[in-house]
Amino acid sequence: MFYVIFESTRSALISIFAHGLRSFLTTLGIVIGVASVIAVVSLTQGMSAFIGESFSSLGSNSLTIQSYTPIAEQMRGVRARLTPEDLELIERRGESIASITPILYANRTSQIRYAAQTTFSQIMGTTYAYSEVSQSYMLLGRFIAESDNLTRRRVAVIGEKVREDLALPENPVNEYVELGGEWFKIIGLLEPKGDIMGFNQDDIVLVPYSTMVSLQGNQARTDIQIQLSLSEDADVEDVTRQLTALLRNAHDLGPDEDDDFVINTAEQLMETFDTIINMVTLVIGGIVSISLLVGGIGIMNIMLVSVTERTREIGICKAVGAKRHHILAQFLIEAMLLSLLGGLIGLALGYGLGTAISSSIDSFPPASIPLWAIALALGFSGFVGVLFGILPAAKAANLDPIDALRYE
Amino acid sequence: MSSVDESAAAKDAGEDSVLIRMQDIRKHYEMGSQIVRALDGISVEIGRGDWVSFIGSSGSGKSTFLNILGCLDRPSGGEYFLNGVYVEELGANQLAEIRNREIGFIFQSFNLLPRATALGNVMQPLVYRRISYRRRKEMAMEALRRVRLDDRMDHLPNQLSGGQRQRVAIARALVTEPSILLADEPTGNLDSRTGAEIMQLFDQLHREGQTLILVTHEEDVAGLGDRVIELLDGKIIRDRRAGEPLH
Ligand SMILES: Nc1ncnc2c1ncn2[C@@H]1O[C@H](COP(=O)(O)OP(=O)(O)OP(=O)(O)O)[C@@H](O)[C@H]1O
Ligand SMILES: [Mg+2]
Repeated sequence: MFYVIFESTRSALISIFAHGLRSFLTTLGIVIGVASVIAVVSLTQGMSAFIGESFSSLGSNSLTIQSYTPIAEQMRGVRARLTPEDLELIERRGESIASITPILYANRTSQIRYAAQTTFSQIMGTTYAYSEVSQSYMLLGRFIAESDNLTRRRVAVIGEKVREDLALPENPVNEYVELGGEWFKIIGLLEPKGDIMGFNQDDIVLVPYSTMVSLQGNQARTDIQIQLSLSEDADVEDVTRQLTALLRNAHDLGPDEDDDFVINTAEQLMETFDTIINMVTLVIGGIVSISLLVGGIGIMNIMLVSVTERTREIGICKAVGAKRHHILAQFLIEAMLLSLLGGLIGLALGYGLGTAISSSIDSFPPASIPLWAIALALGFSGFVGVLFGILPAAKAANLDPIDALRYE
Repeated sequence: MSSVDESAAAKDAGEDSVLIRMQDIRKHYEMGSQIVRALDGISVEIGRGDWVSFIGSSGSGKSTFLNILGCLDRPSGGEYFLNGVYVEELGANQLAEIRNREIGFIFQSFNLLPRATALGNVMQPLVYRRISYRRRKEMAMEALRRVRLDDRMDHLPNQLSGGQRQRVAIARALVTEPSILLADEPTGNLDSRTGAEIMQLFDQLHREGQTLILVTHEEDVAGLGDRVIELLDGKIIRDRRAGEPLH
């Protein structure tokens, strides 16, 4: 058996390279199919690896609590809220919390002005603990201090993107910017963090939480977000359960009422992204595998032509002693090798394409091919070769020697 | 008499000198309403080590007969025992095995693989015998040396002259050391000098004990063997010793 495979492979390779151009054109469908699968997979996998890294830098044991109003409730004018009292409650009774900070988004305008430059940014009120919870570090100046909050100081920490947009000097510390009609002194510049999925993390302005509260005036409607990080040994699910119970109790929710808040973990977010990416990979992969089938039909077509063309040769081989399985193996292996070679070329091409795309678009993470994709691409193209090689090979193997020899 | 008894009997016969025994072999082709009787009841026995020439005009059925003899084609009727084996009972793969082991076929039109070199062509039958590449090459080179073509081993068939191709075909038939050598018009495409060279080679093989069956329509080529069988319209019309006068 091994001998037959070995000899068939030898003669198949000779025949494939004897018709170099034709072999290449035959397998082009496979090349294109595999190249596109690999390009897509390498891009999405690169992206998912990158997202994994980004989120782990967010701190995998951090939680975000937000108010949540179902659409039906919103229609009735009801709005769920998270209040400063909730924050206090969690600070007092929450377990395994390393640090906790409120975030209050500017609710009227997020316009910010410096001299003649105006821009829009994400403006949030928060406390000194935000730096630890979100793992934000300073490039210049200092972060918001506890005293800033106590005295409602008009100070701001900005991200690199905001500094650029406002054409602030390289060192913007001690400059003044206008936010919601008030002047704020810049006390620090955050270390740039880059993009996550096109969302610029440096497009951000932080002010003391209490300053933001006073800016917003109507405190009865304050709806804050709470971000907290857990101590090392904390179990995220346990804490989530405890916080849920705490907040449901505080909000007087009956047993048949839904939560009016959501607790998100960084991990959950990451999983969501992963699910989306995997789905995209799957869908595109599915579409592309159709092109592999088309490629397989191309191979079958040429193999059938080649069997007809080589009818006399087959007759000669049979006349000098080739059995059915010799001829079958030769054509089957030829089809498989043809397809496999296409798969290899496609692999290289697809990886090149993925790398080219990811490096030509700045914000795109580097391409990476997982081993399973290589195995799958080659396995699948080999399988396509065998599948579509069977018919021509059987046709060749079943030829009658004398008829084949007489074939003109 | 049943075929089992027949083949048992034939096996006994195979132990003596009879290599080929044919009984009433027929080959009919249906061409629409017309039936072409290419072979019409051939009965013949050929012994081990014999040199038999078949002679007859064009269309008399010589090639058809040789194809059946070489297990390439199956007769429409009749019985054929080769080396004591009842050929009609064999499957396609067993016939392939016989063609590979017992028979060396030299075709009227050479039938060389166009994309293989002379050496590759001679090596081809050995591929089906599980012989290593190196050993195949040695054996093929030896066979090509015997037909004095060792200086053209790397040439493709279309780079060889007709006589050289004929010799490649002979080397391919010889390389497997078959029990029977079948040759269909081995000199038909050759000039008289090259033809004489080939016949000299056959004569040498014959003296070494090789069974030879030749098809020709040239009387002097046929005369070189031991026995001449004359065909006409698919029937044997004469079976004589070589050198016997025609009339
Ligand atoms: N496949 C076929 N279908 C129909 N008729 C055939 C077929 N093969 C051979 N014949 C007929 O059988 C007869 C014998 O043919 P064959 O090839 O055996 O002749 P031959 O004696 O070898 O002639 P030549 O000396 O020209 O080679 C011819 O009349 C031919 O037309
Ligand atoms: Mg003929």
